[in-house]
Amino acid sequence: MTSQSILLFGYGSHGRFIARGLHEDGFKIKIVESKQAYYDQAREDGYIDVEYVDVTSDNILQLLNPQNFSQLVCVMEDEHLNVFLTLSLRSLFKESYILSISDSMHTTKKLKMAGADKVIDLYEVSANKIYNILRRPVATKILEGIVMERGGVVFREILVHENSFLQDVMTDDLDLAPYGILLIGMIDEEMGHTFVFITTGINHRIDAGDTLVCMGPQNKLNMFEKMLQKEKDL
Amino acid sequence: MKQLILSWALFLSKSKRYREIKETVRDILKNPNNPYKKSFDIFIIFLIVTSVLILIYEVKNPLPEWLDNYDIYFVSFVFLVEYMLRLWIHTDFSKRIVDEYHDAQFLHAEFELWPVIKDGLKEKFHYMITPSAIIDLLAIFPAYRPLRVLRIFVLFRVLKLLRYTKSIHQFVEVLVNKRFELLTLLFLLIFIVVTAGIAIYVLEAHVNPKIETLFDSIYWALITISTVGYGDISPVTDLGRTISMLIIVSGIAMISFATSVIVSAFSERLSELKENRIIEQINKSRSFLIICGYGQMAKMFFRQKNERIENYIILDKDPKRVEQAHKDGYQAIVEDASRFETLSKFNVEHSNITVLCLTGSDIENIYITLNAKSISRKIRVIARVNNMNIVSKFEYAGADHLLMPNQVANTMIRTAITQPTMYKAIHAILTGKSVARIDEIHVHERHSMIDKSIAELDFKASKLLLIGIERNGEFLFNPLPTERIQSYDILLLMGRQISLDYYSEIHEGGHR
Repeated sequence: MTSQSILLFGYGSHGRFIARGLHEDGFKIKIVESKQAYYDQAREDGYIDVEYVDVTSDNILQLLNPQNFSQLVCVMEDEHLNVFLTLSLRSLFKESYILSISDSMHTTKKLKMAGADKVIDLYEVSANKIYNILRRPVATKILEGIVMERGGVVFREILVHENSFLQDVMTDDLDLAPYGILLIGMIDEEMGHTFVFITTGINHRIDAGDTLVCMGPQNKLNMFEKMLQKEKDL
Repeated sequence: MKQLILSWALFLSKSKRYREIKETVRDILKNPNNPYKKSFDIFIIFLIVTSVLILIYEVKNPLPEWLDNYDIYFVSFVFLVEYMLRLWIHTDFSKRIVDEYHDAQFLHAEFELWPVIKDGLKEKFHYMITPSAIIDLLAIFPAYRPLRVLRIFVLFRVLKLLRYTKSIHQFVEVLVNKRFELLTLLFLLIFIVVTAGIAIYVLEAHVNPKIETLFDSIYWALITISTVGYGDISPVTDLGRTISMLIIVSGIAMISFATSVIVSAFSERLSELKENRIIEQINKSRSFLIICGYGQMAKMFFRQKNERIENYIILDKDPKRVEQAHKDGYQAIVEDASRFETLSKFNVEHSNITVLCLTGSDIENIYITLNAKSISRKIRVIARVNNMNIVSKFEYAGADHLLMPNQVANTMIRTAITQPTMYKAIHAILTGKSVARIDEIHVHERHSMIDKSIAELDFKASKLLLIGIERNGEFLFNPLPTERIQSYDILLLMGRQISLDYYSEIHEGGHR
């Protein structure tokens, strides 16, 4: 996976967890904090690229060069500040991808108005989860396991390269069972980079450049990827 | 004799069958959540109504013999049996004797039978003198034909309805609660009526031809004070009229006082009565949700667009929040879910209950979890945990599922950044926003899928993708085509909602 760089605003309860997760996954992160205690905490946790600045100032934000980062993540503890920050970032950097966290449904709306590309609503995801626990307990548990543990069964994106045996195969005919993995869906470049589930009943032709989304045990996926790689090298 | 009674009691207390029968009878007669109680109640109400109709009919018409027999023998017999059963289930006589006997053995003391029997009979007698037991007994009397007067006792059968109709019961309960005020009023009324009656008797008994006895004058006083005023007896002297004026004025005061007492009693209890109704309603459903706390989380939960949530009740301590819930159109009552009485009101025995602890405070959530679990292990608890450090406490308290808003959101963000495609896929599947959904098929014992191999079931033809099977708590990912389905398997399938619905529909039901 290509190493992306993330600009993380806030090192509170959410920021801390996210920073650790991103670090584990091998992302380059820069942490920005405007509160002394959180800043110290970040330092203490061993992050080197930490800035202690006033995020309400446009000049300072510009100095951080957010355009060099692939994503801007706003998870400040103070939700008013978070909205303000999102708004400032959006107005300054039109191109950046901004992800924000929201603590209430009112804030979600405001963050979206402020121009966040993706808002994760604390309560919405939790409420969703309750609903899923009630309706589909097993499915929820399995999917959760996939997201949380990252061990065992996982999702993987696999790029179809030129001259692969996968090329020009119709999705209905493709059987990945011998490899011990399942094809969940694909990102079809012909259809404008949209994610299509395999079970929608539409038969797709796989072209070079498409991405297959597969699900399976980690080692099986690795083997499959290796096999494709070998085929490419041949 | 003593030995005989003792062995009989020992036999009964050992007999499992006897206990079971007694429990069943008790449940049918007393537990409002028992499914058979409703039929039983309807039957009794039918008997009462027919009996009263017969009473009215026979005043002016001759009664056909079969109807008479039905009234005398059948109805009375059923009531007699009911009375006996109620008396029987009120206390456990045999158990009492056995307990006493064991105690005596333990202490190496002489076992005395009579004190025990006396106590037991005393308890039964205490039941017999409760108003409802007296009414039950009187309702049997009309069967005795030689005394014609007893026919009027049929009306006591109407009073039996008290037991079977909830609203009358509640009405009486409200009045009983105000008995101090009402009794004061009654004494005042008696005082005024008697005083005025005596006064008019003394003043007019020899002047007024209509007042012959003290009974006449008291009757007059009551008719006047109640503002009914038939006018059959009226005072003729000036003094008598003055007394009339006085008691009319005090009568108006008293009526308004009585009205206000009753009205205030009802308005005090009105919300409670309404809440009891809601609880009764919800107790009838086979499975329902109890949502504790109406905050952000609960609101969000209800805003799930995909499907309507049915059979739920919201409990919140804060009347303001409950009011808000009412405004938002949800069923809510002001109750403290951490109290034992609150949760035990629900039909724990016959329904599947899921408690959602969604209050903002961890301490309260833990308390509610413990409370629910202490009432019945069967209650499923999904608890919200704010502070991740106390997760183990919730697990210790017995919560079935834990919900950590912070953690869920954090994981979501992390996934959204690191694995955007997976995030999209999972988010879409979980929120049901996409065309593809993951659903479960629970294979029950008589499912037609059992013993079929996965190749035979051919999920692909139905445009479904089998992701895996959960069997005995373990998850088999992507099982081989030769794998056979067993009962109690849970199949995890992905596909469009219609394919999922269709598929589970054709495979539902027994063996072909």
